Amino acid sequence: MNEIQYIGEQLRPGQLGHFFVIFSFVMALFSAFSYFFATRDEQHNSNSSRVWMLIGRNTFILHAVSVLSIFIALYYIISHHLFEYNYAWAHSSRSLPMKYLLSCFWEGQEGSFLLWSFWHAVLGIIVMFTSKQLESRTMTIIAIIQVALASMVLGFYLTPDIKIGSTPFMLLRDKMVDAPVFAQANYLALIKDGNGLNPLLQNYWMTIHPPVLFLGFALTLIPFAFTIAALWKNDYQTWIKPTRIWSSVAGGVLGLGIMLGGAWAYESLTFGGYWAWDPVENASLVPWLTLVAGLHTLIVFKATQRSLPITLIFFILTYTLIWYSTFLTRTGVLGDTSVHAFTGEGNSLYWHLLVVIGFILIVSTTLLIKRWKTLPRIATEEATASREFWMFIGSFVLLLSALQISISTSIPVWSPLAKWITGKDIAPPSDPVSHYNSIQIWVAIIIALLSTAALYLKFKKTDVKSFWKKTALLAAVAIVVTIFIAVAQKITGIQYILLLLASVYAVLANSYYALAMQKKLKKMGPAISHLGFALLLLGILISSYNKEVISLNTLGVTMDFGKKTQQENIKESRENSILFLNTPVAMSEYMVTYKGDSVSDADPRTFYKVLFDRYDTSSKKLVESFMLYPDAFINPKGQEGLMANPSSKHYLNRDVFTYITSAVDPSKVEDTASYVKHTVKKGDTIFLVNGYLVFQDFEDANYSDNTGALSVKARLKAYDLKGEAGELKPVYSITEDAFQNSKEDTLRSFNVYAKFVKVNPTDGSIDLLIKQRDPKDDYIVLKAFIFPYINVVWLGIIVMFVGFILTAINKILKKETVKPTSKA
Amino acid sequence: MKKSHIVLLILIAAALCVIVSMFGDFSTYETFQSASAQPGKQYHIIGYLEKDKEMHYDPVKDPNHFSFYVKDKKGNVNQVVFSGAKPIDIEKSEQIVMSGYMEGNTFRCNKIQMKCPSKYQKDQVAVGKG
Repeated sequence: MNEIQYIGEQLRPGQLGHFFVIFSFVMALFSAFSYFFATRDEQHNSNSSRVWMLIGRNTFILHAVSVLSIFIALYYIISHHLFEYNYAWAHSSRSLPMKYLLSCFWEGQEGSFLLWSFWHAVLGIIVMFTSKQLESRTMTIIAIIQVALASMVLGFYLTPDIKIGSTPFMLLRDKMVDAPVFAQANYLALIKDGNGLNPLLQNYWMTIHPPVLFLGFALTLIPFAFTIAALWKNDYQTWIKPTRIWSSVAGGVLGLGIMLGGAWAYESLTFGGYWAWDPVENASLVPWLTLVAGLHTLIVFKATQRSLPITLIFFILTYTLIWYSTFLTRTGVLGDTSVHAFTGEGNSLYWHLLVVIGFILIVSTTLLIKRWKTLPRIATEEATASREFWMFIGSFVLLLSALQISISTSIPVWSPLAKWITGKDIAPPSDPVSHYNSIQIWVAIIIALLSTAALYLKFKKTDVKSFWKKTALLAAVAIVVTIFIAVAQKITGIQYILLLLASVYAVLANSYYALAMQKKLKKMGPAISHLGFALLLLGILISSYNKEVISLNTLGVTMDFGKKTQQENIKESRENSILFLNTPVAMSEYMVTYKGDSVSDADPRTFYKVLFDRYDTSSKKLVESFMLYPDAFINPKGQEGLMANPSSKHYLNRDVFTYITSAVDPSKVEDTASYVKHTVKKGDTIFLVNGYLVFQDFEDANYSDNTGALSVKARLKAYDLKGEAGELKPVYSITEDAFQNSKEDTLRSFNVYAKFVKVNPTDGSIDLLIKQRDPKDDYIVLKAFIFPYINVVWLGIIVMFVGFILTAINKILKKETVKPTSKA
Repeated sequence: MKKSHIVLLILIAAALCVIVSMFGDFSTYETFQSASAQPGKQYHIIGYLEKDKEMHYDPVKDPNHFSFYVKDKKGNVNQVVFSGAKPIDIEKSEQIVMSGYMEGNTFRCNKIQMKCPSKYQKDQVAVGKG
């Protein structure tokens, strides 16, 4: 077969990109080996060690530069719409605004691995210049991980069946070898546009959330690298400071990244909340929990030389879990259980990730076992009234919490085994939210209490009397506040009251601790992050406990849904409410009216105008009125149905939140209404289904020389039950040869169409043709919620993030008085 | 024995209890037939949309009632009523996972997850004319 000479392909960027992929892989490998040799020769041959170190550094910098170059090459391909490349074709389109081009980048598997690798490269360079004696060891680890990540985008065929990695620079014609279009040399002229970005991802959250989340992922590598370095060197003092700093930053950024995902889900997806205990969310929460646990036991170790083994385990576990979460979300193993699991790359990625996880686990556990006997330990028992004791307990509770979430999330992973043993095909809980909530609420209560009480305890030995004095006082205030909130918010149920009490106490006591006892801002880090956590818990409790679905449907039939959870079933089943055009429906304290839709050429979405009016209950006066614009893509990309984005009204103390679940498809509506003739004089009224029109006067009488036509408008005012609702001005014209013409006008919100067809000089009346589409032909189905105090959730996240960063800054600025280490 | 060890043991014991008890929460994958054995109990059923049979959603009548037919993995076809709006693109779904319970001859479900052909796997290129 002859090779086809394809026309118009730009192969250079792809070739360059692919070259940098291979180069970055080789350089990372080179750097890993060099740093490894630098470490090996450290003791007995410092000259050789220095040379290796130099090579290691330079190759890592070259690696980082080539990762950046891959980035630029791929960005060039996407931004220049080079659809000869599969990546550009699959993830972007010409009409996509500039601001979303970066989002295309990480919509795909390869791009997100690149993003991850990019952050590693940046962090690696910072570590290179700051880690001093631990440089060769930490950088060996970082470079090895970079080798693993670079291999993910290699796209290298070991044998025709075994592929290692998947390259983003693959040509479309290589991806779809059999497609007939590629038999033509000028196939590019036929491919007009790419597949485009999934409409759900076309918003600013998709631009912010992945980079922050991946930075969080990448940051967990650094404490892990220092942990391995410490084990490797068998020196457990020098790693403490950098690990504390990096794990604080990682805790802050990863936490922020996760909750940005939550905010995204809340703001622009239709999950009806910020957290659904979806496997993808859980998968990134679990390593955060173990990271935070490790961060705390490390503080214990620093202060008391206790808890070293568990600290090491926590950091190793955290990093393994990061890769495990990638495994869960990328390979499609979650399959049926997750709403937003990515599509799998197939078998090759599955095994590839397993190999990486296996490698991380084997290296770290071997090292840990080897050092286990020699790890410094303290034989005596810690005091019960000491900070370290309760911090340790708290960290352990976090571990148990992570364990529970992991077991439930990993059901699809272990269910084949369970089926083999028990014969049952285990599925995730029918109601995952209550499954996790009912267990994790106890964790939340314990952590809220411990995170506060531990601050009031001192390391080693505390004066118990003064501790209880302060605690009793704060607890008394907390109880009063709790009773107040519980009554106001109508919170019942022992676990909810306890969580409320614990989080209120934590908010109060952490604030008091920060302001009255720490005083200096730079020392407030821990208290502020704990305060943020407490606010988060409080926000979660109040916003979800009193989340109210206000769009409960009152039309239709109530169905019988089994007895056990009837109340819930009915609620669940009737959350969708139908709104006919201009027909107000009562929802909670609002009168909600659908006022029509609008489309523009610039935006593929349809916006629906939904008016919310709130009347005073006693005086019946309108006190507030606002419009929400939930939107939807109607039949996007040839799909059937609509893809909706919510819209919400934010108040300080609550959000009113709504999204469309169904709407009339304009392409499928048949116009059933017909025109009716009305002969009217000035001041006459024409009655409509939901209001009336008044013919007021003629307007703009005009004679045009060009056309030889006399034209005049009729001004019609439309009124509905509340008053004036708009104007229509249909045009009538007559030419010299008595040829009559008319131009229709419409009032969209009224769905009324008017034609002015005749003037009757005998009595001054005019003939109008009026058509009103039945409002029942135009409707939307929506869900509407009220989230009370949702802002407390966001505030909590921000405060917690600030606390983490403040802690890190304080540690960076602190001049460490170098303690004589046990093994110098 | 150290105090911390005692506390740890208690915690681990508590955790074990929780973990064992949470197995009761887990649902199982069933077929229409096996789900009929216990009407009213929540199960997961995996199946495929019967495209030839009628799908019905009339929001004017009831915006929370969408009925359709599904063939389960054993090949039995059954009517399913979803208490919600018609999900986008259900016509193109390759596989449907439903969570709900049998009531009489219908499967009442309150959660649907669909596996749709990924846009990346479509072996077709949109070709413009001219």
